[in-house]
Amino acid sequence: MPALAPDQTTPVELRKKGTERFTVRWADDHESVFPSRYLRGRCPCAGCVSETSGQRLVFEEHVNPDVGIVSARTVGNYALHFDWSDGHTTGIYSFDYLRRICPCAKCAGAASAS
Amino acid sequence: MTDVVISEAQVLDALRSVMDPDLHRDIVSLGFVRNLSIDRGAIAFDVNLTTPACPVKDRLREQSRDAVLAIPGATDVRVNMTAEVRRPPTPSAQALQNVRNIIAVGSGKGGVGKSTVAANLAASLAKSGARVGLLDADIYGPSIPIMMQSGRPAEPQPNNSIEPGEAHGVRLMSMGYLSPGDQPLIWRGPMAHKALQQSLLSVNWGELDYLIVDLPPGTGDVHLTLVQTVPVTGAVIVSTPQDVGLQISMKTLRMFQQTKVPLLGIIENMSYYVCPHCGGRDDIFGHGGAGDAAASLSVPFLGEIPLDKAIRRFADEGTPVVIAAPDSPSGRAMSEIAGKVAQQVSIRAFRHLTLSIVEE
Repeated sequence: MPALAPDQTTPVELRKKGTERFTVRWADDHESVFPSRYLRGRCPCAGCVSETSGQRLVFEEHVNPDVGIVSARTVGNYALHFDWSDGHTTGIYSFDYLRRICPCAKCAGAASAS
Repeated sequence: MTDVVISEAQVLDALRSVMDPDLHRDIVSLGFVRNLSIDRGAIAFDVNLTTPACPVKDRLREQSRDAVLAIPGATDVRVNMTAEVRRPPTPSAQALQNVRNIIAVGSGKGGVGKSTVAANLAASLAKSGARVGLLDADIYGPSIPIMMQSGRPAEPQPNNSIEPGEAHGVRLMSMGYLSPGDQPLIWRGPMAHKALQQSLLSVNWGELDYLIVDLPPGTGDVHLTLVQTVPVTGAVIVSTPQDVGLQISMKTLRMFQQTKVPLLGIIENMSYYVCPHCGGRDDIFGHGGAGDAAASLSVPFLGEIPLDKAIRRFADEGTPVVIAAPDSPSGRAMSEIAGKVAQQVSIRAFRHLTLSIVEE
């Protein structure tokens, strides 16, 4: 996985639209728009990703299609935390991780090519 | 003598030639110049710096006075140096509303003098006029109560808030207070996590310019809780010059990088020994290793502290060397380092971006 530049993982704007999506604008002026279900289905917590094998256990298709963000907060300087409407609360999404899972056509294309 | 009328604009123009060496901007555009008054040739103003511990305070005062005195007709110039510590706007604003800057002091391994440095840093910043708190988060060997000679704080209030102790102008809390007497804290992670959160958030710190957090050695539960609970302004790493000590320090340094805590710099402790009998100098643990590491990592090198019996003795007696012997070589080394830390914090405070989650 190529290393990300500091500008690519430094947020300059954090926006939440109700329960349905979360948007991060980065220092390199890129914008990542995360729909709730997309983000919930990529939860990095130890319950959703196996701690021993690193294999993902909970995928987007396992998540309720109507799942929404109840609340969001920043974690120290480096991550975001979400309370989800399905009761899940354990994921800490680092800004590095969020940039790597940016769902936009350009980033998603680069990720599947590598 | 014919009256020369000096305008405010003339004075500000003159002051635009005075540059802050750290922020690389002139003191007028930085908004440092306040309360300008002009009464014919007599001109008075404040220069409001970002920290009372500013190491270039005297230089800025002289440059400001000289610049204004050069205006034709200026006869008397009075420069009043003031300071107001700026808070770097950070992503999270919920915790510790009244604490402007949180500085973590860490090390790779134990026994490098991290707590001694933390105590001196706190006492030195307080001496310069800043409002300072010191949280001893070292659950394995809480030593701040000894070094700052402070008793146990009062029992928690009915609303669960804890009044901090106070010594040498520094407000104090130690995780050591959470166990009775000489009992050790034998805790699994979740206990350490809860205790640190309580010490950070339940202590009635009041208004603080700097909260220094003395961390346990290494990278563990306490570190993780700190970086996840509050927006840490920056971290200082204490290391000995010895290679093995340094290599472990790098791990602590990388942990701060990974959690986006800015590195304020590296301090080399036990840098050299001066023989009290012959005055000869001995580099017991080697010398300059921390400086080289700082340079290769592009992290500021904050200075070196000698291995000095006086530092140990004053710490054991409960008075940091910056208070007990401010003019000794060790006392001076410690206060210079405190000035540099404050300088790095001020630079961060200006570079950071404001960030909070907004509803669209």
